[in-house]
Amino acid sequence: MISFLVRRLLSAIPVLIVVSLVSFIIIAIVPGDVTAELAGSDSTEAQRAEIRERLGLDRPMIEQAVRWYGRLLSGDLGQSYLLNMSVTDAVLERLPVTLSLAGIALVLAIVLGVLLGIVSAIRHDSWLDQGSMSLALFGLSVPDFWFALILISVFSVGLGWFPTGGYVPLSESLFGWARSMTLPALALAITQMGVVARMTRSSMLEVMSQDYIRTARAKGMRSHTIIFKHALRNALVPIVTVVGVMTGVLLGGAVVIEQVFSLPGVGRLIIGAIQRRDYPIIQGGLLITAATFVFVNILVDLAYGWLDPRVRDDR
Amino acid sequence: MAKTSSLKRAGYLCTGLVAAALMGLAAAPVQAQTAGGDLVVVQSSNPPSLDAMVTSSQASRNITMNIYEPLFGFSEDIRPIPILAESVEISEDGTSYRIPLREGVKFHNGDEMTAEDVKASLERYQEHGATQSMLEPIASIEVTGPLEVTLTLKEPTPTFLEAFASPRAPAVIIPEEEAAKAPNEISFIGTGPYKFVEYVPDSHVKLERFDEYSADTDHEGIDGFGGKKTAYLDTVTFRVIPEPGAAVAALETGEVHLLEQLPVPTARRLASNDDIEIYENMPWAFMTFIFNMKEAPSDNPKFREAVQIALNNEEIMAIATEGLFNLYHGWMYEGSTYDAGDVGKEYYNVADTERAKALLEEAGYNNEEFSILTDSTIPEHGKAGVVIGEQLKAIGINAVINQVDWPTALKIRLQDEGWNGWTLMMGIEPYLGPAALISALTGEAAHFRDSDEELDALYQELISTDSEEGRKAVFEKIQKRMYEFFGIIKVGETGLMQASRANVEGFKPFRFPRVYDVWLEQN
Repeated sequence: MISFLVRRLLSAIPVLIVVSLVSFIIIAIVPGDVTAELAGSDSTEAQRAEIRERLGLDRPMIEQAVRWYGRLLSGDLGQSYLLNMSVTDAVLERLPVTLSLAGIALVLAIVLGVLLGIVSAIRHDSWLDQGSMSLALFGLSVPDFWFALILISVFSVGLGWFPTGGYVPLSESLFGWARSMTLPALALAITQMGVVARMTRSSMLEVMSQDYIRTARAKGMRSHTIIFKHALRNALVPIVTVVGVMTGVLLGGAVVIEQVFSLPGVGRLIIGAIQRRDYPIIQGGLLITAATFVFVNILVDLAYGWLDPRVRDDR
Repeated sequence: MAKTSSLKRAGYLCTGLVAAALMGLAAAPVQAQTAGGDLVVVQSSNPPSLDAMVTSSQASRNITMNIYEPLFGFSEDIRPIPILAESVEISEDGTSYRIPLREGVKFHNGDEMTAEDVKASLERYQEHGATQSMLEPIASIEVTGPLEVTLTLKEPTPTFLEAFASPRAPAVIIPEEEAAKAPNEISFIGTGPYKFVEYVPDSHVKLERFDEYSADTDHEGIDGFGGKKTAYLDTVTFRVIPEPGAAVAALETGEVHLLEQLPVPTARRLASNDDIEIYENMPWAFMTFIFNMKEAPSDNPKFREAVQIALNNEEIMAIATEGLFNLYHGWMYEGSTYDAGDVGKEYYNVADTERAKALLEEAGYNNEEFSILTDSTIPEHGKAGVVIGEQLKAIGINAVINQVDWPTALKIRLQDEGWNGWTLMMGIEPYLGPAALISALTGEAAHFRDSDEELDALYQELISTDSEEGRKAVFEKIQKRMYEFFGIIKVGETGLMQASRANVEGFKPFRFPRVYDVWLEQN
């Protein structure tokens, strides 16, 4: 197991190098720089040139990249041009918001999706099946930003149950945090819930027709024991496989949801940095987000082995 | 030293008293102000900085002008008035400005403001200020008393005080020890009615009432950026909500009290809601279309004239601003001090395609590409660019839209090649007056890449003319020249829709949301 973990961690390094290289190349291609933001839109070329020189932006891209990687080796992601703080601090300050948003959304997507999938599978071809799958299809089809605005309109403006946006840190109030995260997480989860529901249904239908389920039934085992103990565990294997990918989708989707619900997360940090060309934040933010994604995928691989011992033994 | 002109508080006091007396004749029943509460104001973007001197961003100014104060600022009718200064006495030769300071003004750290703080702040501005050019005429800043500084100018500059009072990136006064720090590294300590508490980027900025605030008792109430300011609220929270739909929802639920800006159609929908007040902050900005005079075909004045004649300004403004606009040809607002009357009117909103085609022929236009640079960050820009493009295609111009994001547009428009026309809303410049507006169109960083010698000369004449009457005459010549070489087209004027909860009292729309003299009515 340890050698597996070490191998997976080592294989993450090239992934992160590629991510940072791609972000460097994109930055090099995109026109515009931070000087207009720092010096003002009516600044002179001389003022902007002075800023470019001070920030090292006048140096060749290769030289800038070498300097950045050099600092990275000592754990320094650099200093934001505009936030007056280090990139590490800026990202770590916001990571809890994004991780809790994506985390809750993941749990919601899995729990709701699996429930819908099970209902659909065990009531195959009934109105319950049709209703559940229609709901799943709705989740898959609806744009998350539109669904977010509908949730605000119904549950915040109409019913007044939840705030329209903003973030309450967990350290301040558990109840406030839960209220502030409910609608954003629901909006973010809706698409993935559809994916999970459809996968669970097809997987469950396949498992339910296996011999060992028939045997369990013949033995007179209770229906819910068959479903939850035998069928679901096996049906979950392909679902766990997609959890890693889902995490990436949720981290990406969090950008839009953070914008709609004005949550101070990493997504908004990176979007703001792109709009204002705060390169260190873009590079550092993408690297840390990619690292999170890679780390979650390693966890998923471990969970996969736990669920299906055959996979673990194969390693 | 002989004093030939001065700006004193007494005169303002008299004017204020007369105005107050006149207003009293028709005054509504006086409403009792209530202290306390947290006012939540919404704006769509983060302040890039809360170091007021180093940024000219509106998102920063919205907040910082409640925290800091300058020596001089603009009154409601856009004239310089003393704020932290007591008065100013200008020497006969126009090069020395003796500025006594108000007594007993305290910083948020509890220290009293002195002439040393003022000198250090102004020197910091000379080094780091976002619009350093406004202090460029100053040769030296001397402390001439515990509460007095004297500014010596390199040469007489009659428009110096107007420029010095500019709120664009205001020359605010901060403690001497803070003034020694680099940009964005200061503690946010000012003299204003509210003091800084915390800033959580992408979330909020929190301010708190400054109980030791020394209000300017020479005034009856607020006046533009100055006057007698009273902080009624315990705290003020500026929340950053980028999504307009979410901001409006927050206003409807009462989670927030004041929207700095909301979409025009939404404002119209909310107008019938008794819990919400809608404000039309008009005029707010000029919508302009700027030519690159170094790139063909826009390097040809005849071609530019054809564009001017072709445009249907009403159609552009109606679409770009969703109906919140005013059509006026003048390069200053109608009825304002420097309004040059009918000069150039015959060229404005003509929409004469036949005449435009004839002018194109005269210009020798040969179907060269005309690249319209616009951006999606400011929706009005993008929409105006598209409509202009369509109108120009109708007269046979090979117009191509290049819609990018704001930083990219700024980068491209600073180049001599790669663009022909650029859509730009000018908000603060027309508000600040002729010198500020024309300075953006002259010199090394002129918006149209190439400078117009005649306009440059007229600008110099404008800033060196002593009397207001003289400057008005010069501005008439400037407006005439603008309609001769067609380097820039004024498309129209637009406004800002703002909204508050009905229990927000005392709010008056202005160039920034003044949260002093605002209170929350208790239900």
